[in-house]
Amino acid sequence: MNADLANIPQEISRANQHDIQILWMDGHISVFPARSLRLDCACAACVHEMTGARLLNPLSIPADVHPQKIVPVGRYAIQIFWSDLHSTGIYTYDRLRALCPCSRCSSGRAEAPPTRP
Amino acid sequence: MAVTEIAVLDALRKIEDPDLHQDIVTLGFVKNISIDGGRVSFTIEMTTPACPVREKFKSDAQSIVSRIPGVASVDVTMTAAVRPNRSEIKNQLIPGVLNVIPVASGKGGVGKSTVSANLAIALARMGARVGLMDADIYGPSIPMIMGVLQGPEILEERRIIPPVQYGVKVISMGFFLQENEAVIWRGPMLIQMITQFLGDVEWGELDYLVVDLPPGTGDVQLTLCQKIPLTGAVIVSTPQDVALKIAQKAIVLFQKLKCPVLGLVENMSHFVCRHCNERDDVFGNGGARRAAVDLDLPFLGEIPLATEIRTASDAGCPLLIADPSSPSAKSFQHVAENLAAQVSILNMSGVSSGDVKITF
Repeated sequence: MNADLANIPQEISRANQHDIQILWMDGHISVFPARSLRLDCACAACVHEMTGARLLNPLSIPADVHPQKIVPVGRYAIQIFWSDLHSTGIYTYDRLRALCPCSRCSSGRAEAPPTRP
Repeated sequence: MAVTEIAVLDALRKIEDPDLHQDIVTLGFVKNISIDGGRVSFTIEMTTPACPVREKFKSDAQSIVSRIPGVASVDVTMTAAVRPNRSEIKNQLIPGVLNVIPVASGKGGVGKSTVSANLAIALARMGARVGLMDADIYGPSIPMIMGVLQGPEILEERRIIPPVQYGVKVISMGFFLQENEAVIWRGPMLIQMITQFLGDVEWGELDYLVVDLPPGTGDVQLTLCQKIPLTGAVIVSTPQDVALKIAQKAIVLFQKLKCPVLGLVENMSHFVCRHCNERDDVFGNGGARRAAVDLDLPFLGEIPLATEIRTASDAGCPLLIADPSSPSAKSFQHVAENLAAQVSILNMSGVSSGDVKITF
């Protein structure tokens, strides 16, 4: 009944001052550079709801953008309160795992499409 | 030969929980062993008061231990402590509630509210602490089905004290509306209402909070899944293909939001003529059972299409109160036992996406 262990996080913590680390149930560790995760925000203000086109201008995001607070959303996602005061994005665990930037996960992968349940 | 605690535990290891597939000693159910010469007493703590094998456990334990050489008498006490669904965030909004169980369907009119009310009463009658939240904001029917005449008491600081009916704490949008008034709301208002029903209501300590959802896959379902980690959903469907196809959409919603599905209930399963006792499968039969097998989900049981269920609900006195020994009432009881078993299985299994530790 439980979903794939790979997509269930055990702990979400700081990798360093700004970056986010997720330890998954299968033991894998993902480290997300803060700014790239901010740019991957899939909320309706950052991605067009119908076309999926990216609306967010990367130049508008400060280089040192970082999470100020991370809260869980039900059983399936987290919400990140960013230092640029953006907070509408919901990052599902499935998508976060798909976005894992480590070389093993990212080799041969096209950019994961945003999902927004 | 003196009777030892080890001998008692070894004997009790032969009793296996049929749902959890482990013996009751390994599961930690056996407590307070006391041995006084040949007199042995102990407690078996089940994972739910709604355990269908409670009496069997007791008599098995009694006879197994009494066969140990040197034992003169055995005194078994049966108790139950519902295991919590593990999570961090739930504790902020509803700290005393161990398990939140939404009752959902894809289609309207399949009898969700009647099933919710009778399940809540069945669990309460077996000794569990139960709440029933009517989240059908647009068409609240729980106050009528449960026969609650007096609404909640509102204290200062917006605390809402839910009325208790048939041993169940009840809250509903219906309490806050005049008769013939309609709720005409957009999403954000709904979200606020659901949040209040969770956070502002004095639920106190509950083993199970049953949530009667509106039909479909909309704002209420999404909000509930986002605000708290739910233990798992119960899906109600009638046996027709069309109802089952739409029920699958509700299942997809819960799976997408990583809320486990505890099982399917087939409502209006068949009609038994009260004159000739012939069974008529009005909507076809066994559809939900087959769908459960296809979808690899537990099948929790079938509820017949029976006039007495309808009249009892309309009279504000659900069948489990009006006529608890009737076959239809027993079918609700059976579903409630299966549901409680599924909750125990899930909570004892250990892995949950609801208890992520966030230290950022």
